[in-house]
Amino acid sequence: MSMDPAEVEFLAEKTMVTVVPNFNQDKIYLIGGEIGPFSPSLPVDVPLWMALNLKQRQKCRIQPPEWMDVEALEEVKQKETDDKFFTAMPSNHYMEITQLLMKYAPEDIPRADQIRTLIKDIWDLRNAKLRSSIDVFVRSDVTHAKLNHLTPMEINTARPFLTRALDQMHMLRTNTQTGLKQTQE
Amino acid sequence: MADLTEELEDESSEEGESMTAAEVLQKLEEAWLNEKFSPDLLEIKNDIVDCMLEQIKEMEENIRRAKKGDFRVGIHKMEIDRIRYFISSYLRTRLQKIEKYTAHVLEQEKARGSDETPQMSPDEYTFAKEYSENMENHFKVLALRHMPPNLQALDPKHTVMRPNLDSYVFLRVNEDTAGVLVEEETAEAGEEVIDLEKGDQLIIRYRPVATLVESGAVGLI
Amino acid sequence: MTTSCSNYMSIDDIISTNERIPCKFQVQVQRLGFLDSSSDTDHIQPNTKLELPFWLATALCNRRRHIVAVDMPKQYKEGYREILTADANVVDLHKLGPYYYTFGSHLLCFELPETPDIAKSLLQTFQSRLRKIMDASQNAYYEDTTNLTAKLDEMERDLFKCGQQGLRDFQRWETRASEQLKTSEMVINHRKRKRAVMEETS
Repeated sequence: MSMDPAEVEFLAEKTMVTVVPNFNQDKIYLIGGEIGPFSPSLPVDVPLWMALNLKQRQKCRIQPPEWMDVEALEEVKQKETDDKFFTAMPSNHYMEITQLLMKYAPEDIPRADQIRTLIKDIWDLRNAKLRSSIDVFVRSDVTHAKLNHLTPMEINTARPFLTRALDQMHMLRTNTQTGLKQTQE
Repeated sequence: MADLTEELEDESSEEGESMTAAEVLQKLEEAWLNEKFSPDLLEIKNDIVDCMLEQIKEMEENIRRAKKGDFRVGIHKMEIDRIRYFISSYLRTRLQKIEKYTAHVLEQEKARGSDETPQMSPDEYTFAKEYSENMENHFKVLALRHMPPNLQALDPKHTVMRPNLDSYVFLRVNEDTAGVLVEEETAEAGEEVIDLEKGDQLIIRYRPVATLVESGAVGLI
Repeated sequence: MTTSCSNYMSIDDIISTNERIPCKFQVQVQRLGFLDSSSDTDHIQPNTKLELPFWLATALCNRRRHIVAVDMPKQYKEGYREILTADANVVDLHKLGPYYYTFGSHLLCFELPETPDIAKSLLQTFQSRLRKIMDASQNAYYEDTTNLTAKLDEMERDLFKCGQQGLRDFQRWETRASEQLKTSEMVINHRKRKRAVMEETS
């Protein structure tokens, strides 16, 4: 079964972000937990889907997450370049959150263009790394692999190719094993 | 508006511990992901679905009672839409599998003991049975009855579609699990056993981890 | 597509079992002489060589019956296996195929002495060609891809498509193209059909 990137984004919208509201409101009791209370100019944590909704109704300003900062991302990029393995991302949904905030709240993100470029660079770096490790994985005779720190959107993009390739390879490998058994009989 | 985060009794847990609505919602999300990515049909999580539907119903009652222009209504409606999406996508994914592997899932349900929890909900079971009968009838009317007498039956041994349990899945480990048998011993290599560490992510064949998905020790991603 | 979960209704499965394989009759077969177009006898004589489709060959050559002896098609024999070992990436597998892997896997059931080597060759060929297929599928967004897939066998083409799908879905999401609603093809076709019907009747 496959998943649409929009569904991965849907999952990302659960992430908590900080907003600065411009209204008064007691706590809201959602099924997923309580949110608030809200007072003008007092930062409060809400799920991203709610933040985007409030933003569209001009009821808040969204504070970019700490990691969404040019210096911090340059460091992440450097680490990703230097390290042979996948490094831990500051957010498991860095790509989706960036996309959503750039679209719905660009004026709340300082140096948005630079951030957009950095995120894209990091994504590309990790994707190239993923392709090399897939090649190594496939040529070796191991049957499973650890993929720590790979984010859901990265997994989802690689999924159709990678799972199909390994399924086909498993079939071809099973062939060689039954072949061996037959000659031994 | 009423406080809806009251503790809910979770019937499925053996220790009888209670769960908050937020925790049940989390379980629903996990069930949705597992169902989406596992090649086989998993056990229906009826209690989770029912509990969430109940929550939605109560919330909608509250919305109806809310004053006109209440700021919170839009937010609540949005959350309900999100939960509805999980539920319907979850059930729809299951229906797709039931349609694809009808004979197989019916066979499996039959093989389960009466003391075991069923794999399908009663509605799903009815659907599977009717779907199977309709397909059989359709084949008969359309083609089989025009065949020579010795070719008028389909041999289930060849025609039944089964999920490929050896297909690869991505998973995240929720609980440390030692001694998972990944590869049976073969002529050229010994068996392969691995330890799963909480937080690890792996790509691996579904078969060796199937029971861990069902128990929740790992979750598909 | 895989043999481990072959699908009765799969057209690929049906086509791949229709590939031909060299057979030699071990016994006389009554009244089937017409199968051999090069002879006009009524019966097939022992030692007659014919190319039979795989599904027929398996019925005539298995553990219970030995009406024919099978030989491996040349593209699975040692000569071709050596070429694949040397550099699998330059080989036009579609020309040798088009179901090179699937048909090759089917052939293993005859349990000939070279079976283990064929199985190994299939796996190694797949492993060494994968990187190129992956890279090609990731670098061709909207171009015509026929030249990229020309030398791939059907299983590899399927894989190429999977790679493209992952990329294309992500790209659509990234450019927010998935948010723009389009009339589905079905509806458009339906309208066309309706118009055609109306024009016919008017």
